[in-house]
Amino acid sequence: MSADVSAARARRGRRWRTGPFWVALQVALSGSLLLLFLLPIFALFTYAPLSRIVAAAGNVQVREAIGVTLYASGIAVLASALLAIPLGYLLARKRFFGRAVVESIVGLPVVVPHLMVGLGLFLLVLPGSPLYSFTNAIGFPVSDTIWGVVLVMAVVSAPYTVLASQLSFEAVDGRVLESARSLGAGPGTTFLTVTLPVALRGIVAGLLLTWARAVSEIGGILILAYAIYPGGPYNGPVTSTISVYIYNLFQQGDLADAAAVSSLFLLIAFALFLAVRLAERTGWVPWRRGDLTP
Amino acid sequence: MSEWLVEGIEADLDAFHLGPVDLALRSGQAVAVLGSSGAGKTTFLRTLAGFLPLQRGRLLRDGVDISDWLPEERSLGYVPQGLGLFPHRTVFGNVRYPMELRGRLDANARTDDLLARFRLTALQHRHPARLSGGEQQRVALARALAAEPELIVWDEPWQALDVEARRELGVVLSDLREEEGIPVVVVTHDPGLAFSLADSFIVLDQGRVRLSGGPLDLLDRPSNAFVARFVGYENVYDRAVLEGGRDHPFTAWLLAAAGSEGVAVGTPVAVPTIGVPSTWEGVVRSARPNPDGVRVEVAVDDLMVAVRLPRPWPARLPAVGERLRFNVDGDAVHPLGTGPRNAR
Repeated sequence: MSADVSAARARRGRRWRTGPFWVALQVALSGSLLLLFLLPIFALFTYAPLSRIVAAAGNVQVREAIGVTLYASGIAVLASALLAIPLGYLLARKRFFGRAVVESIVGLPVVVPHLMVGLGLFLLVLPGSPLYSFTNAIGFPVSDTIWGVVLVMAVVSAPYTVLASQLSFEAVDGRVLESARSLGAGPGTTFLTVTLPVALRGIVAGLLLTWARAVSEIGGILILAYAIYPGGPYNGPVTSTISVYIYNLFQQGDLADAAAVSSLFLLIAFALFLAVRLAERTGWVPWRRGDLTP
Repeated sequence: MSEWLVEGIEADLDAFHLGPVDLALRSGQAVAVLGSSGAGKTTFLRTLAGFLPLQRGRLLRDGVDISDWLPEERSLGYVPQGLGLFPHRTVFGNVRYPMELRGRLDANARTDDLLARFRLTALQHRHPARLSGGEQQRVALARALAAEPELIVWDEPWQALDVEARRELGVVLSDLREEEGIPVVVVTHDPGLAFSLADSFIVLDQGRVRLSGGPLDLLDRPSNAFVARFVGYENVYDRAVLEGGRDHPFTAWLLAAAGSEGVAVGTPVAVPTIGVPSTWEGVVRSARPNPDGVRVEVAVDDLMVAVRLPRPWPARLPAVGERLRFNVDGDAVHPLGTGPRNAR
């Protein structure tokens, strides 16, 4: 009797979970979120006529702003890879005093408004400060240069690489590493041939996030490198990052151009993300080898 | 091939203490390490492999003290639980790995040989996640051999394998030690394969060696309930349970033979109700045929006793509620823990 009742209950439970109501609820919730993502984009594309978007693509200033943004964000991602992956490894594998404090410090640039990060950096490199003299002496002046952009981008976006690589390194099965050691690999070889390749997929995901965060940065840049004067790896005319460029258009009341340049940049960013995803799908990239899914 | 000597090794992992453990391994010998979960089996293997520092004792290979050697210097094929295959490398890449480390020029040819030997050639381009459990085991073994180990140390080789894959792997491991003389240390929960493979056994309990010896030592002196059940005793009784039912003559008789922890009784044989003098009688609770005859569960007072009805199979299985008589061989009664040596 009671077995019949519980069986009926289980059947009802299954119907509930796979039934039309449940499916409708899932579609409604997921759909709402996707709509939230898409509506602003839709608004941009409908506000800016296609001719304006094409014109924006041909505009030298726009192209310079996009170029300098991609260039600076690329350097910021490389810097993150160089500095953040080792820190992620340290946090994943080592137990040391003050580890929680270090983890909190890593999270700081993510949680504080980026204007504050920019302000802090600005104060650090005020003319006359030791860091001002030092950065100028070694050929990396930061105020209103591409290095300033890179600096802000790296500070606000590197935490994503730290966190992603920490999680990825933690997820590498210690027994796989012990196998490598026992098969004859020293600690360094084990790291390069096993730990890093196995964790690579998560690390790359973190680097992508880092890049996305770097590209979209504006708050800190407004303060430290509102205008970008030639210097360092950038030798073009005075320009700004694309976010600052669009902000300026908006401030001038030029909504149509602001929307057109935004739409253009959206297309570029979307194409870049799509290219990475497609490369992952085809298995051309090393970090997707050995997946469960074909 | 080398000879290994483990002399009183002790190691600590957090609050857990292992040892002292002693072990001697000659070429081609196989030792099975037994024990319930948390007994220290994996800790022992990881200590052998060099992942835990020795607090005391020595590890000797051919008379050389290698206690302080790094894991990569020990020439020891350690296969951890879960096998530790490299998920980012193909089967070929996994097996080739140890030879890459050694810069062997014939790495590809030797990898091909090993893949052929373990019937992995057709799977060489796959990644481990897309192999069956048995295939993964063969990759792990091929990879361990590629490093030309002087000792194979394997944690739970038969975990999650079906019957056929277990049998096959048992054959491969036996071949290995017979043909190549590589000694093997395995941790296992599988009595059938432990008995078919190992020449000697170590039983660990809370980090200490409870018993070490050959298969007959285990069968004749099971020492505790875990070992008794492991080696196949179906009738294992805690002392406390027996003390609770001492009014019944059968229980009282078992209690007299029991050690401090209880008693293990080899499966008694049922006897005809008429014509043969028998000792005990119980009520049938279940009867299931197997290759040896029929396994009958009989209730004697509160105790359940597994009884064997030898072949040929009867025309009719004993029915539930029927009475069944059986004899218990005094030699088949073994005390567990400390206490009477035997019921004889």
